Amino acid sequence: MNETDNTITTTRSGRDLSDAPDIIVCKGVSKWYGDFQALEKISATIKEQEVVVVLGPSGSGKSTWIRCINRLEHHQEGDIIVDGVELTNDMRNIEKIRSEVGMVFQQFNLFPHLSVRDNVTLAPIWVRKKPKAEAIEQANELLELVGIPEQADKFPGQLSGGQQQRVAIARALAMEPRIMLFDEPTSALDPEMIKEVLDVMKDLARSGMTMMVVTHEMGFAKEVADRIIFMEEGQIVEVGTPEHFFTNPTEDRTKLFLSQIL
Amino acid sequence: MTAPVEQPPSTRLAVAQRVPLWRDVVVLKWFTQVSLLAVVLAALWLFVGQAGNNLRAKDITIGFDFIDRPVDIQLSEGIDTLPNSGGRALWVGMVNTLRVASVGIVFSTILGIFVALSRLSNNWMLRKVGAMWVESLRNVPLLVQIIFYSSILATLPRTSFLDPTAAAGPLNQNQGPIHNWLHISNKGVSLPRVFIADGFYQWAIVILLGAIAAHFVRKKRLKQHDDTGRETSPILWAAGTLAIFGFVGLFIHPVFSFVGPIMGGIASLIDSLTIPMTQAVISIVAVLLALRWIRKFRTDRRSGSGHLNLSDDDWFRMIFAGLASALVIVVIYKWTGLSSWLLNSGQDLFRLAETKFNVDGAARPFDAMRPDVLKPGNFANYGKNGLTMTRGFAAVFFGVTFYHSAHIGEIVRGGILSVPKGQVEAASAVGLNRAQSLRRVILPQAFRISLPPLGNQYLSLTKNTSLAIAVGYSDIVQVGQTIYNQTGKALPVMSVWMLFYLACSLTISVVVNFFNMRLKLVER
Repeated sequence: MNETDNTITTTRSGRDLSDAPDIIVCKGVSKWYGDFQALEKISATIKEQEVVVVLGPSGSGKSTWIRCINRLEHHQEGDIIVDGVELTNDMRNIEKIRSEVGMVFQQFNLFPHLSVRDNVTLAPIWVRKKPKAEAIEQANELLELVGIPEQADKFPGQLSGGQQQRVAIARALAMEPRIMLFDEPTSALDPEMIKEVLDVMKDLARSGMTMMVVTHEMGFAKEVADRIIFMEEGQIVEVGTPEHFFTNPTEDRTKLFLSQIL
Repeated sequence: MTAPVEQPPSTRLAVAQRVPLWRDVVVLKWFTQVSLLAVVLAALWLFVGQAGNNLRAKDITIGFDFIDRPVDIQLSEGIDTLPNSGGRALWVGMVNTLRVASVGIVFSTILGIFVALSRLSNNWMLRKVGAMWVESLRNVPLLVQIIFYSSILATLPRTSFLDPTAAAGPLNQNQGPIHNWLHISNKGVSLPRVFIADGFYQWAIVILLGAIAAHFVRKKRLKQHDDTGRETSPILWAAGTLAIFGFVGLFIHPVFSFVGPIMGGIASLIDSLTIPMTQAVISIVAVLLALRWIRKFRTDRRSGSGHLNLSDDDWFRMIFAGLASALVIVVIYKWTGLSSWLLNSGQDLFRLAETKFNVDGAARPFDAMRPDVLKPGNFANYGKNGLTMTRGFAAVFFGVTFYHSAHIGEIVRGGILSVPKGQVEAASAVGLNRAQSLRRVILPQAFRISLPPLGNQYLSLTKNTSLAIAVGYSDIVQVGQTIYNQTGKALPVMSVWMLFYLACSLTISVVVNFFNMRLKLVER
C-alpha cells in the first residue's frame, strides 16, 4: 500500500473529485488497547463530497478508525486533520470538529427520554444556540427528509428499528455537519428495514454530503461509493473504486475476503 | 364470499358442554379468594380474642383516654416542652420526628449526589474520599453512629449556668461579641432567630407583587431564549426581580397600610349578610360550577369533527357532577349552622387581616431575637427564642443524614452507571459538552432509574429517626414510651406509633410514585 493508492480521480458518477479540497486527512494514525494494536499507521485522505465505504472483517479496526475521527476514541500516534482542524487534546478543537461531523451508530443511541422532535432539536438548541421555533421547523424538515414526519411526537421506544435509525440520521443532520460518519448503520436492523435506511443514505450521498460508511452492505458499496477502503488487522490493505475492488482486486487478502462474502 | 364454513364437531362440543365447577377458572378464582379471606378473618379473631383475654387477666385496659388526660412529662425540645395532655405530648413528638426526618431527607439527597459524583470523578483523591465515605458510613450500624455523634458533641464546653465557676468565663452571654450571636456548647448550637414582626403583612403584599412581576420577567426571558437562542437565564432574572422587590419592600411597605380598612370593609360586608342570602349564593355557585364542568367535559369529549361520543362512564361522571351540586344544596339548607359558621369565620378572618394591616407605619417586617442560653433553667429551655440545634437533634440529624447519604450515593452512582455508554457517545457526537450531556442526557435517565430505590431510602430514613430514643431526642417513640410507662397503655400508644409511621411512609410513597409515573419512558 502506498500513498498514491489513496488518490482517486474518477468516481461512480463520473465526477472528478481530484480538485476537491481534502476534508479528512489521516497521517500514520495508530492506536493501541493495552498491548493490542487496533490501528496501525493508517494514512488516508478523503475529499469533500466523497463517499467512502470502509469494508473489512470484524475486528479489523474499521469502527475504531471512524470513531477516532470525531474523537470518541483517541489515537495515540499520527495526525488526524478534519476540515483544517487538527484533533488534539485541545477541547476547543474537539468541540469544533464534533459540531462539523455527524455520526450514526449501529445501536441508534437515541435519547429514550426525549420525543423524536426533541432528539433532533436538542443539539441545535443547546450547542448551536438556535431559536427554538427555528430548530423545530428544521427538525420537521429533516424528519420529512428521512420520511417519518408523522412520528415527531412519539418516543424512540415506540418506533421500529428502521425508523429509529432514520431519526438518528435526522438528529445528526440537524447540526448541519459537513461530514457524516456511519458506523454499521444497518447491522442491528431486520432485513426488511435495511432498505429504508439505505435509501435515506443514498439520497444523502446524492446531495453532495461527504460520507464515511462502515458497512457490510455490498450492494450499497457498489452503488454509492466513490471509493472503497479495505481494512484488515488494523491496516489499510487496499483502496480503489468499487469497480476495481469488486472485479479486479490486487491483494490476496481482498480476494479472500470477497470470496467469503460474495 | 363463500358459503358459511361448517364448524368442526369438536369445537361445537367444547362450546356446548358445561364446565364442571371444580374446573371452572372463574369459580376457582372466587373460591380461593373467599377461603383465603375466611382464614385471615379467623386468625384475626383468634389473636384479638386471645390478646383481649390476656389483657383482662392482667387487668390492663386498652383505650385512648390518655390522649385527653394530663401527663407529667417534660420534653427535651419541641413546639411545647411541657405539654398538658398525652395527645399534645404525642403531637409534639410527631412534629419533632417530622422535623428531623424532612431535614434529613433533603440533606442526605444533596450529600448523596455529591458522593456519587465524586466517586465517578476522574480525580483520584475525590474518588477515594467518596469510597471511604460510603464504606465507613454504611458499614457501621446507625445506632452506633448516633450515639457516637452525641458523645462527640458532649465533649464541647459546658454551658456556664450548669457550671457556676464558669459564670464569668468565655461563655457568658454578655461578654465578647461572638457570644451575643452564636453559642456553642455541649447542649447544642444556638443562633439568633429572625421572626415575623408587625410590618410583615404589608411587606408580604410587596412580595406578592414581586412574585407576579418575576413570573412575567421569567416568561419574557424564556421567550427571548426561544427567539434568539441566546442563554437568557430566566430563573436568575426572576429571582433577581423578586429580590429587588423584597429589598425595596423593606423600606416602602407602609404604603400598603390602606389594605387594612379594605379588609375591615369586607368584614363589615360579610357581617351584613343574612343566612338565607348565604344559602342562596352557595347554591347558585354550586349549580353554576357543576354546569360549567359538564360543559367543559362535553367539549373535551367532542372529536375533531364535532361528533360527541360519550361512554357509560362519561355519563356516570356527568350525572355525578350534577348529584354533587345537589348534595351541596341539600347540606347548605338542612344545616343552617354551617352557613352561620361560614359567615362568622369569614368575618373573623377579615377582621384578623384588618388588625394585621392596621399597624404603626414604622413597624418593621422582621425582627431578630437572641437565644437565651445562660438563664438558669433546665435542659428544655436551652436556646429558647433562638434558632437552636440541640445535641439530640444534631446527633440524630447527622446520623441519618450521613448514613443514608452513603446509601443514596451508591444508588445515584448506580443510576448514572446504568445509562448506556452509547448515550454519552451520542451526546458527544452531536456536540454537547460534558456539562450539557450530564444535564440533558445522563441525569434525566439516571434519575429515572434511581427514583424507586431512592424512595426506599426516604422511607427507611424516616423510620430510622426512631433511634432518637437512644440520645434522648423527644421524637414520637421517646414521648410514647414515656407515656406508656406512666399510664400502662402500651398497645394504644403502639397503635399510634404504627399509624403515624404508616401515614409518613404512604405519603412518601405517593410522592415518589407520582414522580415515577411522570418520568416513565414511553414505549409502544
